[in-house]
Amino acid sequence: MNDFEAVPRGQGGSRHVGPGRRLTASRGFTLGGALLVWLTAGTADAAGQQMDHAAHRMPAADGAWRMPPMDPNMPMLPGLEMALPPVAPFLAAAGIDIATLPEARPSEVVEMAGGDTLDVDVSIVRRTLNGHEMAMYGYNGQYPGPLIQAPQGSTVVVRVTNSIESPTTVHWHGVRLDNAFDGVPGLTQAPIEVGETFVYDVKVPDAGMFWYHPHVREDVQQDLGLYGNLLVTPPDPEYFGPAHREEVLVLDDILMDEAGAIPWGEEAPTHALMGRFGTVMLVNGETDHGLDVRPGEVVRFYMTNVANTRTFNVTFGEARVKLVGSDVGRYERETWVESVVIAPAERYVVDVQFPEEGPVVIANSIQAVNHFRGEFYPHVDTLAVVTVGGDPAGASMAAGYDDLRENSAVVEELNPLRAHANREPDYTLETTVRVNGLPLPIVVSMEIDTLYVPPMEWNDAMPMMNWLSTGDQVTWILREADTGRENGDIAWTFDEGDLVKIRVFNDPDSFHPMNHPIHVHGQRFVVLARDGMDNDNLVWKDTAIVPVGSTMDILVEMSNPGDWMLHCHIAEHLHAGMMFDFTVRPAA
Amino acid sequence: MPWSSLILTPLVGLLVLGAGEATAAPGTEVAECLQPASPDYYQFAMVPTGRVPGTGNARGTADVWFPHTPFGVAVSPDGSYRYQFRLRFERLRLPRQGSFVVWVTTTDLDQVEAVGELSDTGAFEGEVGWNKFLVVVTHEDAFDPEAVTWKGPVVVRGMSRSGMMHTMAGHGPFEQEKCSSYGYE
Repeated sequence: MNDFEAVPRGQGGSRHVGPGRRLTASRGFTLGGALLVWLTAGTADAAGQQMDHAAHRMPAADGAWRMPPMDPNMPMLPGLEMALPPVAPFLAAAGIDIATLPEARPSEVVEMAGGDTLDVDVSIVRRTLNGHEMAMYGYNGQYPGPLIQAPQGSTVVVRVTNSIESPTTVHWHGVRLDNAFDGVPGLTQAPIEVGETFVYDVKVPDAGMFWYHPHVREDVQQDLGLYGNLLVTPPDPEYFGPAHREEVLVLDDILMDEAGAIPWGEEAPTHALMGRFGTVMLVNGETDHGLDVRPGEVVRFYMTNVANTRTFNVTFGEARVKLVGSDVGRYERETWVESVVIAPAERYVVDVQFPEEGPVVIANSIQAVNHFRGEFYPHVDTLAVVTVGGDPAGASMAAGYDDLRENSAVVEELNPLRAHANREPDYTLETTVRVNGLPLPIVVSMEIDTLYVPPMEWNDAMPMMNWLSTGDQVTWILREADTGRENGDIAWTFDEGDLVKIRVFNDPDSFHPMNHPIHVHGQRFVVLARDGMDNDNLVWKDTAIVPVGSTMDILVEMSNPGDWMLHCHIAEHLHAGMMFDFTVRPAA
Repeated sequence: MPWSSLILTPLVGLLVLGAGEATAAPGTEVAECLQPASPDYYQFAMVPTGRVPGTGNARGTADVWFPHTPFGVAVSPDGSYRYQFRLRFERLRLPRQGSFVVWVTTTDLDQVEAVGELSDTGAFEGEVGWNKFLVVVTHEDAFDPEAVTWKGPVVVRGMSRSGMMHTMAGHGPFEQEKCSSYGYE
């Protein structure tokens, strides 16, 4: 079981890309052609190539490739002016009049009790983003999908019908449910074909904020809007500290230009090197998300990063931010933080108090990289605006805000796991990458570029090169250090109840190292240590980021029998091979 | 043990690394388990200038790692990395008078901070909050945390690995490009 692709791969050459359109091989990229162009690039008008990339844009007709937007200060890489990804472009509902599609609506809360059933239709919807009407996908026509609330310990039933144009599944991210309902095609279920229905029994043993998304071409389906949250409520009303209200912040981005969404790769993902960074930020599916709060109000934000590849550094203006929880529940101790770094698929729970009247910008604040100039530069994107005004909030909920709680039950549960910190890992995984058939200018540029690789890629600093790299040319690798086995050849079997220590080393000496959010299906783990430093504040996780050059030790509690995946949660890396599955045998 | 207490752990004995001119105190090794593992990739060399007697043959390394953070990567609200760094030297003779003061500075020297002085074993551990930075050790009369820049001679200096992220203008595929078009003189 190594093939999770539900969409058949094409074989190149002439490809049908939509009604009335064909993309021929002559416009596709070839290595020889690129080399020829590159070798003759010196005769081109360099001044004409810079700043104005419009000359290189492909026609903006729906369904045809268009070059992704580039920073106007970044020059076009010589030799790639007419290059296209060697896959067909894909847009949702190609050939269908968008006006005929139902308009998507904001997410609705669905409170479920154990045994309740929710019908979810995965369908094509009409969305308007940045003034562009687009065909996208939605769960029950909503963006994000319904916010499902279920009590801890219950099992709810979700009956999913596929009404989009390709097979899909639903993965219940972070949920330790029964293996048959994990939503991995080819491993736990067959893909839900168009028109078919699959019934998921979603058992929720852990409290916290989880999420659901497809496990078929996430780079496309998730990016087109298929994601939603699952809030599992604990029986203890004081599980977290007091707050005036709870809000959801689902962070996303989408790659668009002035003509709309840049097409996705049909047979394989584009942007296989760095993942598909978006140019338009979305919070809860909106480009202009806002919130009105009262002075002094304490707001609990459940944050989920559903972006394909972007890691956010989220700031809340001058407001104080208290970190109380992560993927699967509470920290041992609450802490103050200045910002929240949240990698793809991670969740964080923060309590934020807004004391003063006026606007507070929730922003993504990063030091972006300009590879051409070899510089970092500050870059801030507004994600949402909180407007503080009106009558002051009641003081009772805010009374305990200044206090940082220690969660004794969590300490009691997790502290014994520290005994594993000083022992050797059971397994070591190294991350690396192989490329084959990338255009020569890209290879040359990347060889120069890797004199220094930053720990994190906060932005797409090489959008053209990234766009042209596909999952057919790039193989991202999880390599078992002891055996040399890679990705699907890794064969791990455990027994229910095992505590397995896994070391993940992000090899900085590979061709193009990059940060990787590592996700373990069906189990939970703690990050014991990073770079040899013990973690002094444990929390159950299901996804954790490994920066370039770093070593992360996790202790996985193999508590849930079945066949499960471990993979990088950058969608394009996943579909470029960075995954394998392991088995947990049930206890006798 | 919380990481904060590790930072405060006396760094005595870190430099029981060599003979020659080193002045390390014997028998004071710190348990290995207390030392974070600096990713080798981000280590950088501390290079002597030869301007201070007894230091010309010094060999130094700066280990760099992220301080503990709940998020796995430590950044400030403006997105700059926050690094912990540790200096270790071989064959570095410490001064009989004055002090070897450690500074961090941006690569264009527009911001300079005095962050401490080498211990009597020639070690140092501190923090820096810039993506590109230099670490400079100078010979001063005394450590002055308020000093805006150094007055004494530079003993050793090193540049963060990120300093190697230089411009592509004029290199490789951009060899034929007109650098002036991109703001370069």
